[in-house]
Amino acid sequence: MGAAGSKLEKALGDQFPEGERYFGLENFGNTCYCNSVLQALYFCAPFREQLLEYYANSKNTGDAEENLLTCLADLFTQISSQKKKTGVIAPKRFVQRLKKQNELFRSYMHQDAHEFLNFLLNELVDILEKEAQAVKSEPETSSPPEKTANGPKHAQANGVSKEPLVTWVHKNFQGILTNETRCLQCETVTARDETFFDLSLDIEQNSSITSCLKNFSSTETLNAEDKFFCDKCCSLQEAQKRMKIKKPPHILVIHLKRFKYIEQLGRYKKLSYRVVFPLELKLSNTVEDADIEYSLFAVVVHVGSGPNHGHYVSLVKSHNHWLFFDDENVEMIDESAVQTFFGSTQEYSSNTDHGYILFYESIGASNNKS
Amino acid sequence: MHRVGSAGNTTNSVRPRKEKRLAYVLSDADDTKHCAGINCLKVLKSTVSNGCDYLFTGSRDGTLKRWALSEDSASCSATYESHVDWVNDVVLAGDSTLVSCSSDTTLKTWNCLSDGTCTKTLRQHSDYVTCLASAEKNSNIVASGGLGGEVFIWDMEAALTPVSKSGEAMEEDCLNGVNGSTNSLPMTSLRTISSSNSISAHTTQGYVPVGAKGHKESVYALAMNDSGTRLVSGGTEKVVRVWDPRTGSKAMKLRGHTDNIRALLLDSTGRYCLSGSSDSMIRLWDLGMQRCLHSYAVHTDSVWALASTPTFSHVYSGGRDLSLYLTDLATRESLLLCTKEHPISQLALHDDSIWVATTDSSVDRWPAEAHNPQKVFQRGGSFLAGNLSFPRARVSLEGSIPVPVYKEPTLTIPGTSALVQHEILNNRRHVLTKDTAGSVKLWEITRGIVIEDYGKVSFEEKKEQLFEMVSIPTWFTVDTRLGSLSVHLDTPQCFSAEMYSADLNIVGKAEDDKVNLAHETLKGLLAHWLAKRRQRLGSQASANGDVLSGKDIAPRSLAHSRVEVDGGAENDSMVYPPFKFSTVSPPSMVTEGYQGGPWRKKITDLDGSEDEKDFPWWCLDCVLNNRLPPKENSKCSFYLHPCEGSAVQILTQGKLSAPRILRIHKVVNYVAEKMVLDKPLDNVNTDGTFAPGLGGHVQHSVVGDGSFRSGAKPWQKLKPSIEILCNNQVLSPDMSLATVRAYIWKKPEDLILNYRLAQGR
Repeated sequence: MGAAGSKLEKALGDQFPEGERYFGLENFGNTCYCNSVLQALYFCAPFREQLLEYYANSKNTGDAEENLLTCLADLFTQISSQKKKTGVIAPKRFVQRLKKQNELFRSYMHQDAHEFLNFLLNELVDILEKEAQAVKSEPETSSPPEKTANGPKHAQANGVSKEPLVTWVHKNFQGILTNETRCLQCETVTARDETFFDLSLDIEQNSSITSCLKNFSSTETLNAEDKFFCDKCCSLQEAQKRMKIKKPPHILVIHLKRFKYIEQLGRYKKLSYRVVFPLELKLSNTVEDADIEYSLFAVVVHVGSGPNHGHYVSLVKSHNHWLFFDDENVEMIDESAVQTFFGSTQEYSSNTDHGYILFYESIGASNNKS
Repeated sequence: MHRVGSAGNTTNSVRPRKEKRLAYVLSDADDTKHCAGINCLKVLKSTVSNGCDYLFTGSRDGTLKRWALSEDSASCSATYESHVDWVNDVVLAGDSTLVSCSSDTTLKTWNCLSDGTCTKTLRQHSDYVTCLASAEKNSNIVASGGLGGEVFIWDMEAALTPVSKSGEAMEEDCLNGVNGSTNSLPMTSLRTISSSNSISAHTTQGYVPVGAKGHKESVYALAMNDSGTRLVSGGTEKVVRVWDPRTGSKAMKLRGHTDNIRALLLDSTGRYCLSGSSDSMIRLWDLGMQRCLHSYAVHTDSVWALASTPTFSHVYSGGRDLSLYLTDLATRESLLLCTKEHPISQLALHDDSIWVATTDSSVDRWPAEAHNPQKVFQRGGSFLAGNLSFPRARVSLEGSIPVPVYKEPTLTIPGTSALVQHEILNNRRHVLTKDTAGSVKLWEITRGIVIEDYGKVSFEEKKEQLFEMVSIPTWFTVDTRLGSLSVHLDTPQCFSAEMYSADLNIVGKAEDDKVNLAHETLKGLLAHWLAKRRQRLGSQASANGDVLSGKDIAPRSLAHSRVEVDGGAENDSMVYPPFKFSTVSPPSMVTEGYQGGPWRKKITDLDGSEDEKDFPWWCLDCVLNNRLPPKENSKCSFYLHPCEGSAVQILTQGKLSAPRILRIHKVVNYVAEKMVLDKPLDNVNTDGTFAPGLGGHVQHSVVGDGSFRSGAKPWQKLKPSIEILCNNQVLSPDMSLATVRAYIWKKPEDLILNYRLAQGR
């Protein structure tokens, strides 16, 4: 391991980025789902920056109770403050905390990396929101009961309007989708907003992210048995429904639905379809017609042919170098190697390494302000 | 079959509902006005000079109306009522047949100058029928198009010809033939009656129309040329499809529109076609050359209606942008004729005028100069139609929005405002509604009348004001799809609500009698039918006894084969005042029998000739036999405990059970009685039985009452003043157990009531 580190150091030579650390993460038995996502998040620069900043601030106030957020911050701090530039770290506390928190991840079974990412981000948001609330209620004790009194009034299930609190996790990952439904009789359009941390896309053989995104916002007709109740017509009518991205997130996380439930088999099957993901992505299906450009900075790769077993690794772009993280091991790879993770055009292929979760960061500072 | 449901995934024709439902549509206006948007128009010109012209209108209220026209007035001369959902389109076929199509998936035919009786129901579509087209000079040909891409071409003469039946059916016919109209159905055709051939208008259909197969998506527009040799269809596929209606074979497909095609026209030869689309464009096609000749960007929103001058030189168009334009197809000059307050749904030229239907319930007539459209252009204000769709089109208009040529219609046929919002109140007899004009009204659905008209007030505020803390099971659902209130009853849920006679103020009925709301409502709805039927059966029995018995034991009478026509239930068929429906504006019944299709008829128009099989059997079982479906538990279990610290205590046998509608004052009585009957606390020999003959105790208490003031023990009062509490809240004696459970207890577990002596007296 130490050798691998030095090998990487040698490979980078004097190009080794100032202050950067490349550390492998120890596997505690099927915790590669966790390691691969943690690496991707670690190299999500704005996220890491803000997490470390948050940690530094909260440390000053002391008394921080251990939670998933402090464990993650602790781990990231540990990595970034290593004396050595490369090596291996055991994310022991984090994994223990995770297993304590959610029994889903408690077993030694193979876990889904996307599920983990989703759980983690939501958990972080919950913790931050609770903290913010605690801070709020401290100075003026009268406010919480007042709030509950108003509680049932805004019975909106809509994530956007419910709670205006925007944490730094939101600022990085949250986007807003709008669900537009147009009644085909009166042609009135009803729009409903929903927030997201990642987009889960259905995939097709020999396709690209752009085409998958297109399908994602393609028009679906509600008809026959599944008509739409139009408030304007007071009746069931045919309608066209489509999803559009209203507010693109700063960090766009795309989850490819490679695990599909096959009814005939009664189980999930892995789709090894070739889905091209570009290094630079243009997002065009937004409400404002302006295209938004994104740059790929991390890929969580699923290795294996089935959904219940296999391995996760991650590709990370750091300071213009592509790195390959496989638990303890860190290697440098060529940018051109990224395309070997697109998938295969044949169903049975020896290459079972497929891009599963893609992390894009928007280019340009226009989005940073929100 | 009918799509009455409004909540969730409702019924469709292909999926049989468990039991047919019964609905009734309430109305508080006279019958001479539509009460929802007008979807279609048709003008019938008089063939004789000085004869009267007619306008037919089909509405979202489910009815069609015929208007006798004169220069400055239009009067409603007939209402065609039988569709159970929106009427979407109407055409004239043959000499005098009116053909309508509806979201109830049927086509219906009517004798256009009759009083409004449906002559035939054509069931071929499996989804909403959205549009019709007829051939002017080959007028027996009618095409119908609908959702799911279904298009059928009908030979109306053949479709209306009585079907020859197989042996068994013949026999039935003979049987029916004897009692003639007795067994005829609500929709039995005038035609068939007059030809003394009694077939069921809506039963097995011998005629099968030609299908124009190949549509991948829903069809929203159709047009046919005069001779019936060409049919065009349009819809969400965004292409104009061309067919040979004689064979149903495809001729071509024309691309160009970028959204749903909502309106189509063909010239008399069938060579030129005009299409109006939700992409806001009008296109002129040459079907001979199979190409688009022109596209006209006139509208700023979807084009929903087109009408052309007789020579196909100009087109009138209306749509979602509330505007009616006249466009010269050759010079591309366009003129804004008028603007409306609602989107325009259909147009019909009538001499030098044009009838304009909107999503509002009124219809207007505007000047049109169809025979000399140039005359209108001479007034100026025209612009050149662009060929790019909105919003680019708007820019090319160079300047401000055009000023309409006409400000006022020459004639308006008013309608009443459609209901758009509703709320069932907690008493489950009142429904609050709001209409398009903002008027808020309170309906009593068991009588079908408006009991309070609040005018233009806030619906939400009124709703809160009318809130009552009572809990009565939901026994009906309502919707406002037809612009009026439709009340739907489903068995067995509808029989779940009961009230005490006293609470309904029914005079002459024991106050503790339980009244089933649905049962009484059904009796009220069918009262007229029952009376007429009794008359009929009576007169027939004397005329021909055999027929009567033959009919009543007919094997098809299923569950009610044991119908006791007047078997001692005479008294029970009495309709109590709270369930007497208005005869001034009677509700219409909407239902479906276990044979044939859905139908709708005013309850006062039921003349007793309707067959039993036209009604859901459970309604008849209820009304004729007083048989209700087995009740799901209408009881409420509860525990009765003394209040903490209360000195009073009675013996109860653990869990108690009572009707959910039991009022708290009954519980008070129970406790009081127990207390009086039971020995006071210090008496150990309490047995707690309710048996009579313990009068001694009562006597004793009565005696004891006198000494109450002198410090006697409180339980010695004759009627001790008892309070019942739940969750530490004193309950009003008027509350029912169900109400307490729903609003005070609020837990799924068995209700716990506490009692104590009233305090503070």
